[in-house]
Amino acid sequence: MANDREILREVWEGKLPISFQLDPDEVVELQQPDPFYLMVPRLSYFPLVTDKVRKHFLRYVANDKQDREMWLEYDGQPMKWHYPIGVLYDLLITSDDQLPWNITVHFDKFPENQIYKFSNKETVESYFMACLKEADVLKHRGQIASNMQKKDHNQLWLGLQNDKFDQFWAVNRKLMEVSQEQEHFKYIPFKCYLDDGYRQKLIKPVDEDGRRKTLQDLINEMFPGKNVVIKTHGMIPPLETPLQWMSEHLSYPDNFLHLCVQT
Amino acid sequence: MPSSLLFGINSEGRVHTLSTTGTMWREIPYAGQEFKKLSAVPHFLWALGGDHQIYVYVHGLDIPIRVREESYENERWLPIEGFSSRLLPTDRYHFSNGDGTVDRSIDKIRLPSMAWQWEGDWQLELTLDGQPLDHQGWTYAVDFPSQYYSKKQWKSCVRRRLWVRSRRYSAMNSWCAIAPLHKDATSEPFIDISIGGQSVAGAEPGTMLVWAVTSHNRVMFRTGVSTKSPEGARWNPIQVPLGSEVNQINVGPTGLVWASLLDGRALVRTGVTRDCLTGDSWVEVRGPGDNLKISQLSVGSCAVWAITQNKQVWFRKGVKGEGAGMSEELAVGCGWVEMVGRMAQISVAANDQVFAVGADDRLVYYRSGVANSDLTGKRWKALHAPLQVSRASSNASLNRDKFHRSFNALQSRPSSMCEPSTISEWEDHSHSAPTAPTSLPVGDLTQKFETQPKNPKAWSPVHSVGSIVGTEVHPEVDESVWSDGSRESCIFAEDEELGWAEYEAPWSWVEAGACTVDPTQLPNWFAETGGGASQTEIGEPWRLKILQELKLRLPTEKYKNWQLAVDTTSWVHSGEARVSWGSGQFVDCVLQLEWVQTTGTLTVLNPDGASTMNLFSLNDITCVQCCSEPGSPRLALHVPRHAPSLLRLQFSSDAQLEEWQTHFATTCGKLHQALGKPSEESVWAVTGLGDVFIWDPTQLESNQLRENDYYVQKFDLSGKESPIKVALHGSFNPGTTLTLTGCIGDDADRIGINLDAHSTYKLRHKAYSEFENTCLHFNPRFTDGYIVRNSMIEGKWGKEECEGEMPLQKGHEFTLKIETTEDAFVIYIDDKLFTHYRHRLPPNSVSMLNIWGRLQPFRLVIKCPDIILDPLNLYWRQVGGHLRRVESCRVGVTWGIGYDHTAWVYTGGWGGGFLGPLDSHNVHPMTDSQDYRVYENQRWNPVTGYTSAGLPTDRYMWSDATGKQKRTRDQVKLLSVKWQWVSDWMIDFHVPGGVDRDGWQYAVDFPSTYHAHKNFTDYVRRRRWYRRCAVATTGPWQELGHTKLIDVSLEPVKDDLDSVISVWALASGGQAMFRTGVTRSNPTGTGWEHVTSDQPLASISCGSYNLVWATGKKGCAYWRAGINENKLEGERWVCVEPPNGGQLKQISVNCVGVWGVDHLGRLHVRREVTETFPEGTHWQTITVDPLVLNSAPSTTGFKHVSVGRNEVWATTDGGAMLRRTGICKTNPGGSGWFIGIPGNWQHVSVRAFN
Repeated sequence: MANDREILREVWEGKLPISFQLDPDEVVELQQPDPFYLMVPRLSYFPLVTDKVRKHFLRYVANDKQDREMWLEYDGQPMKWHYPIGVLYDLLITSDDQLPWNITVHFDKFPENQIYKFSNKETVESYFMACLKEADVLKHRGQIASNMQKKDHNQLWLGLQNDKFDQFWAVNRKLMEVSQEQEHFKYIPFKCYLDDGYRQKLIKPVDEDGRRKTLQDLINEMFPGKNVVIKTHGMIPPLETPLQWMSEHLSYPDNFLHLCVQT
Repeated sequence: MPSSLLFGINSEGRVHTLSTTGTMWREIPYAGQEFKKLSAVPHFLWALGGDHQIYVYVHGLDIPIRVREESYENERWLPIEGFSSRLLPTDRYHFSNGDGTVDRSIDKIRLPSMAWQWEGDWQLELTLDGQPLDHQGWTYAVDFPSQYYSKKQWKSCVRRRLWVRSRRYSAMNSWCAIAPLHKDATSEPFIDISIGGQSVAGAEPGTMLVWAVTSHNRVMFRTGVSTKSPEGARWNPIQVPLGSEVNQINVGPTGLVWASLLDGRALVRTGVTRDCLTGDSWVEVRGPGDNLKISQLSVGSCAVWAITQNKQVWFRKGVKGEGAGMSEELAVGCGWVEMVGRMAQISVAANDQVFAVGADDRLVYYRSGVANSDLTGKRWKALHAPLQVSRASSNASLNRDKFHRSFNALQSRPSSMCEPSTISEWEDHSHSAPTAPTSLPVGDLTQKFETQPKNPKAWSPVHSVGSIVGTEVHPEVDESVWSDGSRESCIFAEDEELGWAEYEAPWSWVEAGACTVDPTQLPNWFAETGGGASQTEIGEPWRLKILQELKLRLPTEKYKNWQLAVDTTSWVHSGEARVSWGSGQFVDCVLQLEWVQTTGTLTVLNPDGASTMNLFSLNDITCVQCCSEPGSPRLALHVPRHAPSLLRLQFSSDAQLEEWQTHFATTCGKLHQALGKPSEESVWAVTGLGDVFIWDPTQLESNQLRENDYYVQKFDLSGKESPIKVALHGSFNPGTTLTLTGCIGDDADRIGINLDAHSTYKLRHKAYSEFENTCLHFNPRFTDGYIVRNSMIEGKWGKEECEGEMPLQKGHEFTLKIETTEDAFVIYIDDKLFTHYRHRLPPNSVSMLNIWGRLQPFRLVIKCPDIILDPLNLYWRQVGGHLRRVESCRVGVTWGIGYDHTAWVYTGGWGGGFLGPLDSHNVHPMTDSQDYRVYENQRWNPVTGYTSAGLPTDRYMWSDATGKQKRTRDQVKLLSVKWQWVSDWMIDFHVPGGVDRDGWQYAVDFPSTYHAHKNFTDYVRRRRWYRRCAVATTGPWQELGHTKLIDVSLEPVKDDLDSVISVWALASGGQAMFRTGVTRSNPTGTGWEHVTSDQPLASISCGSYNLVWATGKKGCAYWRAGINENKLEGERWVCVEPPNGGQLKQISVNCVGVWGVDHLGRLHVRREVTETFPEGTHWQTITVDPLVLNSAPSTTGFKHVSVGRNEVWATTDGGAMLRRTGICKTNPGGSGWFIGIPGNWQHVSVRAFN
């Protein structure tokens, strides 16, 4: 059960200050637009929070480009909009004190090879729900998510979209429950990000003796023999943190643990 | 839930108990006897000892078991001698019971066994129906069966008086042996014992059934076992079918009895009903299979589990205990289901949870997953709880220590019960609890103690009825007396005498009959390695590090002013609903609640969503209440400053209702700063639906203007035209000033500025006549050139005072300042002293400013030394929970009582109920239950007897109590989704007036009084059915123990915050109790002290701790004499006669007075209560006046009154909240009422408010 409210709240409230700037090449007005400052929730997705950004920069762009899809770029890299914002930050910013995060806004030359198109809210919602169901399959063989009604799914999505902790967790806690028999999830849903992708593996939260596994055990199983540093939510959790607890409390809203690996 | 106990016997025969709130097995102090089997219901434990005799252990009761023996002494008047005890041959016995049918000679009334003790000697009952009698206690009548009066009349030929004596079960928390079947205990010992039947449908409350099996395979039933008679009366053999040899027997909570036979079959006793508790016949049930012989079985409410000789576990399906008495099928079930697991012994609890002892490892197992839908459960979970072993268990010194300590306690007993004797005589005596007869021979005792009883009536040898020794209980001799019944119900020896061991002893028996485990909230018995409790995680270093790192991620200061991507501070919530304005019809609408940063608006739109019906600011809402009816979820919004002042919204589902309730609660709460912990001075109120509300005065305090020490209220009257009336809520205590600025019209002739009080109303010929009261009539008369000052008292003008000049001028502005002092109003005009006006009516009764004539007022400023309270302006916030009454005191300790009489203590939290966890703090689950009642009516006709076809003018066949509303059983719906039925429709056998065997009560006609026996002239009859429902909610309440209360009252003894608090309560039978050890840091207290009272009481209230008043069930009042700081329970009750023609139902006492409500809805104030004469001299009656009658629909009288330190508030039966004004020393009854909102209030507690 995810009942450590204090931790859950701290994770939920995590925000990043971002300074959005329009690519100077795309500006057609005489005056350069001011950068647009915004505090965005770490747990959300870019397409959900960038309406204001789009409105702000739209009039500086050539008319024929105005109904193009907006995309974001940092340090030459287009941002994958289907990753949670916090994950992108942890991946792309490796050194400390890089706040505010300077991101460039583009309307032109959409890099179709590198990121998916149709980054509107509905697409993000479908992707989000798919991740949620995948996580549930790993945790409970899919039984809990499939028993949920449409309105519960809606409530999860609305809670995330409107940054409402209670609305979201009223339903999400059902996904964090453990069955009476087992007292832990079947497998831990997580994604380890390194290089240019992520890796997943079937890992149980307890070993054969029934002892609770920790983050160290996960590292040993994923990267045997190597010394890695795991970062999530902008911090490095201690290696003795139990995996079951981590999955309950440090997951992103899609119920996955997103762990950025630094060697 | 309050804790309950699981019992177990280990392989050494020692009895242990595990509490649902504990984590360790604790041993019941070893008294020299090992046990083989035991059977339990809450508080009563029956066990089979190693000597094959039966023992009883009564434990954990807060209220002692007391039985009042009564005997009427009858005398007849004879011509020469006067009243004498020589009675006519046809008369009743000299000493008899109430109706004369049974001989009750005083010297023949004995204690039923050694376990009982008399409390005092035979005493005379000195009151009759609340009226005090003369000191001889005689009541007089024409003849024996007639009505008795307290005074002798000329036609009184007989008289009688009532002798009473109480006996108490003194063997609490200790083993008491039950007499064997024959004089020689070894000739037919017992081999099994079982107790159950505590929930037989319709039986007298407190009935229990005890069945046993003897070594001759005979089945025995113990008659007369109940909470008032824990040992029962005697053993009755019950016939079994020929050829059946019973070896084990078990009784379930509904009275269902299953027995197992030596040949492996089972027998079921059918026909167990309230009329026939022993059932009427046996039905045989085959075992689960050919070679599977049943060795042990256990019966629950709807489950029977059995163990066969090969240690397999079986479940009997199809058993339903509730209906088992009437239906053989439901008693016998229909088949066996095999279960996984090998067990040696099994026990089923009253709520069908199952415990067992493993066959191989001898651990105690619990069956997890047992629920109503799945009685077989899922899997066996082993209990891991360490044992606490008594270090001195077999050491006689343990008993000796206990013995010496209790001896000191003995010294404080009343002298009539304690005859002094030397210790050394009984130190050699056996120290064990009364056990086998051999240890306490009858003959020896009479020689052992030399002191003979002084009064033969007090001590007389008793021939016990079914219990062991034929001697009276005596403190020096009998260890069972040592347990102090009024102490905390602990059955364990002191902790320092116990060591504890961690080993897991092999168990041989587990008993769950007294254990109620909630499967959703399992106790802490299953310390397993897998999951881990969250409490242990909080302090883990990795968690703390994570928390710290999360917090350090972002320096918040730097980015404080950044815009948020998602704006959470402004939102709009809309939905469809139906709305009713005032008392109008419901119409469809669209609701829109808009919250912008710090303010909000509620707009009610037409169903098209575009045009507005009405809109108002959320600030105007003073209370949001649930006013649902079954099937219609509704919310009532009170907006007293609007017209209409009540808005009702109906929603399509309970979920939608809760959604809106939460929105209103959070937004209005933010507006009125009513979030977080309510202050200790809050006023608590309860609605008719059981919802709990609080008004927190700190917000009023902070919102009111202040000037030095005064509270200021300003009115801007420049927009209004004369005549103007302004309600004044200030107390007008000395120091209050009223300043009015205005301008007199050019053509003014006479103008008036009156300080009016509430009118007096007198009832004449069923109509009210109004008589006005004016404290100060200030009447400048310009044509006459002087200012008249006068008062009107009940419509009559007094003497005019006209001296002085006329400083006011037509057409000019003026400033009028009226200052209140002890004796007079001091009037200043334009800052110059004008005159003094001596009070003719107490200034506290001023309630209205009345301006008339040609003048235009500008501003009115009231300055008052006390807070100015307008009952219409109070914001009520809801707190979770479902209660019937709530009582608080000024240090913030608050207690509540539910509809099912459970006592709850306020935890200091807030929220709960529909409020989410974010808005709640320190809330716990809470349940309450209620009974719905329906009457079945029938009329007698010559042809077919009683039928439900009545006359056309009759009431419905199925109706409510008044008979006017049709109510069939299927129509009765639950109030909301939160309520659930917990029983079926059952016949109610406990209806006032009595019922016959089938539950009918008879009367001459429907609206008459009903009685149990059918008379010749009774043409109608009715029967009451009830069905119980329960609600599960959460709230900042913690359940207090097991005792059921009907009323409670709290008051701190001293003024500091940590003072001990005097808590008086009434148990459900009307017994007065005092809770010790209650302080602010320990609001639940430590234990109950029983306070004797002659009559059952109905209401109790304590003012400053030494002012305690109560009302008896018959309507008279009592006050407690002899309370001082060292003796907080006082000494005795003094009876005070009730007001004329009224029976008091409820009473409330505090510094400001003693107020009571009678059964006719009138209020009474006790007059002339002084320090030296705290009982006052007479009652002053306050009846409802038209103002009160119009405050809410269907108001006929007062319902409840609460007296605080300076305030008296009351509720009416129409649900309005009232505040009494004008209370002062000369007029403790006050002069009028200020009306609050009609919020369906039925209870209020204003004691904490200062």
